[in-house]
Amino acid sequence: MRIETPSFTPRLYYADLMSRNSLLRRRARAVLLGLVVLLYVVSVPWYREAGATPSIVFGLPDWVAVALGCYVGVAILNSLAWLLTDLQDHDEEAP
Amino acid sequence: MSFQALGVSALVVYLGALFVVAEISRRARRDLSPSDHFLAGRQLGVFVLFLTLYATAYSGNSLLGYPGEAYRRGFSWIMAVGFMTSIIVCFHLLVPKLRPLATRWGFVSPGDWVRHRFADDPGLRKLVMGVALLMALALANFLFAQLKAMGELAEEVTGGLVPYELGVIGLAAMVLFYETRGGMRAVAWTDTVQGLLMLFGLMALLSWLLVGAGGMGTITREIFELRPDAVLVPDGDEVRNWISTILLLGLASVVYPQAIQRVYAAKHGRTLKRAFSLMTFMPLTTTLVVILIGLAAIPRLGELTGAEADRVMPLLLGEWAAAGTPSAVAAVMVFIGALAAIMSTADSVLLSLGSVVAEDIVGRDRRDPGTTRLGKRVAAGILVAMVLLAMDRSITLWRLIELKMELLVQCVPAFMLAIHWRGLRAAPTFWGLVVGTIIAVTAVFVGSPRIYGFHTGVLSLGVNLLIAVGGSLAVARSTGGTDLRVGADR
Repeated sequence: MRIETPSFTPRLYYADLMSRNSLLRRRARAVLLGLVVLLYVVSVPWYREAGATPSIVFGLPDWVAVALGCYVGVAILNSLAWLLTDLQDHDEEAP
Repeated sequence: MSFQALGVSALVVYLGALFVVAEISRRARRDLSPSDHFLAGRQLGVFVLFLTLYATAYSGNSLLGYPGEAYRRGFSWIMAVGFMTSIIVCFHLLVPKLRPLATRWGFVSPGDWVRHRFADDPGLRKLVMGVALLMALALANFLFAQLKAMGELAEEVTGGLVPYELGVIGLAAMVLFYETRGGMRAVAWTDTVQGLLMLFGLMALLSWLLVGAGGMGTITREIFELRPDAVLVPDGDEVRNWISTILLLGLASVVYPQAIQRVYAAKHGRTLKRAFSLMTFMPLTTTLVVILIGLAAIPRLGELTGAEADRVMPLLLGEWAAAGTPSAVAAVMVFIGALAAIMSTADSVLLSLGSVVAEDIVGRDRRDPGTTRLGKRVAAGILVAMVLLAMDRSITLWRLIELKMELLVQCVPAFMLAIHWRGLRAAPTFWGLVVGTIIAVTAVFVGSPRIYGFHTGVLSLGVNLLIAVGGSLAVARSTGGTDLRVGADR
């Protein structure tokens, strides 16, 4: 008789880890939200000289390209943070 | 086929589709309870929830005002992508704790949370009333702005065949019709159609502009030659305004009554988090697109001053429509998409207004079907009043509309702080709200909406928080201790 064993993939491992370990999920979510705050700080050009002439990056002034890059990063990290959020209704069964 | 004929045909088809959706959603209703009318029986799935959140968040101001603002301020208006993203980030501060309580205790209006949280506190009634009045005032302003935009756009898309006044009355009547017939279910389903129209229309317009101009790099270089200030690194005042706007919009938008009610209306907690995980990308597909459209208008339209800059979008669409029949069809689609965005915001605002006034101000029970009837009558009454005001085109309540966020942000302690800190008491929270509101309103009306680049709404929120926290600690000391643990899962 042949015994079937589930194939071990990084995705399966990750999903298993995430679903079983809520503490790890909470910590990962906190790290992601911390990075989001950091990206917001970097997105505003407070560290640049006011009135300086920028170079063009991807068709945009460099400080705009940095801000936009940060907001793309915020969107990705925030999306992951929402997926990791423990948001189960009191009468809802665990997935 | 002329642009006018195309516009009228598209408007008729669009309104016909809304009529059909209203009837289908009326047949789908389960009972006459407030929960079924105002929250669609708490059965919104991921796709509809996502699109209704999207269509509600992106109002007429986002589609018509933001390109004008980008045209006026230049590249620094990229901050709008930041503050629209911050809304979905700030929801982390409220939703994970509010949602389970809302389903457990059957919340319908935003005030249900306040009543639940401060149930035994002296000053509860005043706080519920204060929060509800601020929300109702902000919503009424918002509704007024949408009605005016509806009239302007109806006149524009039909080439003047439908005059402004008829546009306001006719479209307001349509919104009232489908909101009254189908409640949140009709609002959410029409929002779905409206959200899709808006998304595809904007993408098509941006593609046409970029291809015509020879790419974004060319546009940026042309802007630099015409208006170097629009491209250079912004000064300190603009940088502080950038930070302040992210804080103001992020925090205030989370306490929008219509946003809170969508948190209640989701079918499951996991439905809600999936919808938010998609929503976080929408500023990149909508706000960024309208900003780039506004920037592309700088070299294309030349010098527009003051309020003229607000007509950037209609002017561009007019040029696009003149390029041939396919372009005219696409331009009409964008016009209808913008109209859809305005109507979807107006319908959500109207639904929330009915619920906030009926439950939180008049004090009707959330389980009583009579509350639904009262909510519908209140919504109709407020809509009629706002339509009458909007008839006079010369009336501009823009200062009041600007105040909307400054008012809403004063409700933040009653929601975000209250849900995380058990020590917060009702009376100090109420007085914080009163003082914060007085400071914000006074500053705007004496012509100082910003101090050192920061919105007075953000600064007065600081005073509001100080009073709420300091007062709560003082009350706790006088009554013998407070519970400082995090979490308010009472």
